Amino acid sequence: MLAYAARRVLATIPVMLVVAFVVFGLLYLAPGDPAAIIAGDQATPAQIAAIRVSLGLNKPFLVRFGSWLWQILHGNLGNSIFTGLPVTHMIAQRLEPTLSLMVLSTVIAIVVAIPLGVLAAAKQGSWIDRAVMALAVFGFSTPVFVVGYLLAWAFALKLGWLPVQGFDSIRHGIVPFLRTLILPSVALGLIYIALIARITRATMLEVLNQDYIRTARAKGVGQRAILFVHALKNAAVPITTVVGSGIALLIGGAVVTESVFAIPGLGRLTTDAILQRDYPVIQGVVLLFSFTYVVVNLIVDLLYTLFDPRIRY
Amino acid sequence: MSTTVRSAAVPLADVLPPVVRRGRVRTFLRRHPTAALGGVLLAVMLFVALFAPWLGTVDPTAIDPIHRLADPSARHWFGTDMLGRDVYSRTLYGARISLLVGFSVAFCASAAGTVVGVAAGFVRPLDSILMRIMDGLMSIPPILLAIALMALTQASVQNVIFAISVSEFPRVSRLVRGIILSLREQPFVEAAIAAGTRLPRLVWRHILPNTVAALLVQATFTCASAMITEAILSFIGAGTPPIVPSWGNIMAEGRALWEIKPYIVFFPAAFLSVTVLAVNLLGDGLRDALDPRLAKRL
Repeated sequence: MLAYAARRVLATIPVMLVVAFVVFGLLYLAPGDPAAIIAGDQATPAQIAAIRVSLGLNKPFLVRFGSWLWQILHGNLGNSIFTGLPVTHMIAQRLEPTLSLMVLSTVIAIVVAIPLGVLAAAKQGSWIDRAVMALAVFGFSTPVFVVGYLLAWAFALKLGWLPVQGFDSIRHGIVPFLRTLILPSVALGLIYIALIARITRATMLEVLNQDYIRTARAKGVGQRAILFVHALKNAAVPITTVVGSGIALLIGGAVVTESVFAIPGLGRLTTDAILQRDYPVIQGVVLLFSFTYVVVNLIVDLLYTLFDPRIRY
Repeated sequence: MSTTVRSAAVPLADVLPPVVRRGRVRTFLRRHPTAALGGVLLAVMLFVALFAPWLGTVDPTAIDPIHRLADPSARHWFGTDMLGRDVYSRTLYGARISLLVGFSVAFCASAAGTVVGVAAGFVRPLDSILMRIMDGLMSIPPILLAIALMALTQASVQNVIFAISVSEFPRVSRLVRGIILSLREQPFVEAAIAAGTRLPRLVWRHILPNTVAALLVQATFTCASAMITEAILSFIGAGTPPIVPSWGNIMAEGRALWEIKPYIVFFPAAFLSVTVLAVNLLGDGLRDALDPRLAKRL
């Protein structure tokens, strides 16, 4: 197990290197000369050249990639072209809303989708099954901002139950925090619900056909225990895999959800950075999100042995 | 029909093929009513996109400040936006952009993914290198990669297609490689190699035809996802140029006013959802019809 874990962790290194290379390549290819931008409008060509040397911009591509990577490994993502602040600092400021949004979405998705999927599989072919599958198809087809606007229109504008937009930190109390976060989380979670419900249903259908389930029925185990204890446990591996890979959808969706609900998180930081062509910020956010995605999937891989002790590496 | 079959004078070949073919279409429709619905919806959207100028639209970019922010009426079916542009015309023309981007990305990503997948599946030394690169690309959430690429270039429809294709093709390459690795072990491929078939011919005649079903299904899902990504890119201001009436742009422009004039956002949103739904339904049906085993892989 430990050897497997070590191998699995090591295997993420080349993947992250590729990510870093792509992200660095983006900055390298970005139009505009960073030295000229830093030097300002009044600078002479000689001053710009001096800044270029001091930044190491005259060095070959791979040397620059190496030193950039070295800085990243030391937690230095560079400074924003626009504000001059360290990118790590800007990310840290925006972390709370995005993290809250993603965690709440994941919780909602898992809590809603797994019972739905189990129920659909248990009553295969019934109206419940059809409704769940229809929900899944709609979840896949409705872009997150459309869901967001529909929810905001219904629950905030028409019913007036919840604020239309904005974000309240958890430090101001859990109730205002949840009130601002619930609509965006549901909007963001819908596609995730679709994904998890579909895989749960498919896997459960497979598991429910196995002999040990018939044995459990024969010895008189109740339907609920069969579904949620005997069967779900054995369906856990594919479900966890999808929960892990679905994080990519969540990350992409968060960027848009934050725009719809005016949440000052990493997504808004990204959107603003694009409009201002603030490449170091874009780089930092892409690196951070990709790293999160890789780490989440690494954890998922390692969780397999916990869910299914038969898996031995 | 039964009388013709009974009279033995008619050769069987004249009678059977049309019967079989029609039966297949009917069986498909009966077994996959949702796929048929998807097909019809997509056909309607294609019709709308192709014939937008003749469907009672005006110039989608024509500004008419006096009639700005008009509610939906007989004159402006979907109302007008803050510059007085007709939302109905803009939404109909928007179908062109969305479908163009969806189909183009599906084609480009499938083509690029197939090339990389074939290379990885047949040239063993390349396999691990290519797949590590694909893993790396797939570790960047697709929308973020597309955003980052768009930040490098100017806003244009071509660049949007390129950016989304780059973020979608690694998945296709993984799929193609997986199919090729399992095909390579098949007796008919071994037989072809034993018979002296050269590699290009082997790939073209024996391997690629067996990837078409999976590629086609994957292409529909790529198309759906590309249309959503295009709308998202345009919505956050990193997609098609603002002058282009794409659904994402119309929604982005309506965003500031959506609390008082929700229809500016609502109509393009509904069109986008219906189009993506149509493509997804079609893809689900294709997957079930072409190869039930695919259902697990995709």
